[in-house]
Amino acid sequence: MIDMDIKSLRRKVENINNLPTIPSTLKRISKIIEDPTISLKEIGKFISNDPALTTKILKMVNSAFYGFPGRISSASHATVLLGSNVIRGLLVGVSVFELMQNAMLGLWEHSLGCAITSRLMAKRKGLKDYDDVYAAGLLHDIGKIILILEFPKEYKEAMNEAKLKNVTIAEIEGDHFVADHADIGSWLAEKWLFPRNLIEVIRYHHKPHLSKSAPIETAIVHLADILLRANGMGFAGDPFVPALNPAAFEVLKLSETDLREILEEMEDSLEVTEELSL
Amino acid sequence: MPKVPVDKLEPGMNLARPVTKGNIVLLSKDTKLTETLIKKIQDMEINGVYIDGPSHQSIPKDEALAQLDRRFKNVEDRPYMNMLKKLVKEHIEGLYD
Repeated sequence: MIDMDIKSLRRKVENINNLPTIPSTLKRISKIIEDPTISLKEIGKFISNDPALTTKILKMVNSAFYGFPGRISSASHATVLLGSNVIRGLLVGVSVFELMQNAMLGLWEHSLGCAITSRLMAKRKGLKDYDDVYAAGLLHDIGKIILILEFPKEYKEAMNEAKLKNVTIAEIEGDHFVADHADIGSWLAEKWLFPRNLIEVIRYHHKPHLSKSAPIETAIVHLADILLRANGMGFAGDPFVPALNPAAFEVLKLSETDLREILEEMEDSLEVTEELSL
Repeated sequence: MPKVPVDKLEPGMNLARPVTKGNIVLLSKDTKLTETLIKKIQDMEINGVYIDGPSHQSIPKDEALAQLDRRFKNVEDRPYMNMLKKLVKEHIEGLYD
């Protein structure tokens, strides 16, 4: 157990920019996204000024799976098409990609797979904001990255313990760190002024029945997370499938045929994630 | 039945599944690919098509199914998890056909 109360932990998480291990791109990005007055045009310009970031964002939004009608050739075009919330989510996602790779092998595949699966389920359910659900899927486990960065040794111990005790990492994080990755991720999302729905998905993706403002979106990411793990795609801290929340699953009203088709579509996405290894 | 990326298609390959857009079948199952058809497929917003032939999985089927059992061992008696496991199992078995 770390020697810290929940308030101090939250302060530490919110001051993530002071961590030496945080990449400079993320520092610059968090400045941008914390500024409520920033315009879409300025976000577009910020991305365009960073060739590496531009390449990553364009690669992501131009993958066949992402399904845009035409090719997106510039950062400003992508920004306008996707809107500020989605582009801010993608920016955080691609800038922590390297961290994800180093800190936990397979977490990027898990996150991206979850993003793609969430998006296709959102489309299937007729949601209009499916790109927002994509961003939520991409960032749902961001709290894990923060925990690993802040407490590398302790998190490794927790992962070992989860494996030994046959439980998921989420079930024991609270015993080790006062809060779990869902809480921690949502603190950061709040600090970054992400939209209410995105914050809720991150906070409740393991307790989807508690979501008030985004029950469908949260249920979608909850199920996508489980499907990815069920299928053995990527790695998210432990080798086990968490139990489905029955109420959340019922909200989605998915038949066995729906699920079969979703599994097929996920298989397609696997190739995309290989292609997208940024 | 492997799924082949559009840039790896070659004339003479046989479609194992139809190529569709929404509910419209653009190319039916068993179509033999030609240079022209491959160009057309490459212009579509898809990343791959299913081709006749054995697929290549990274681990043997028995091992894949044993791993599935291990992943689900804690939750098999929870609501819907048996159904989910059954569907994933069928899906994995389908990859080896």
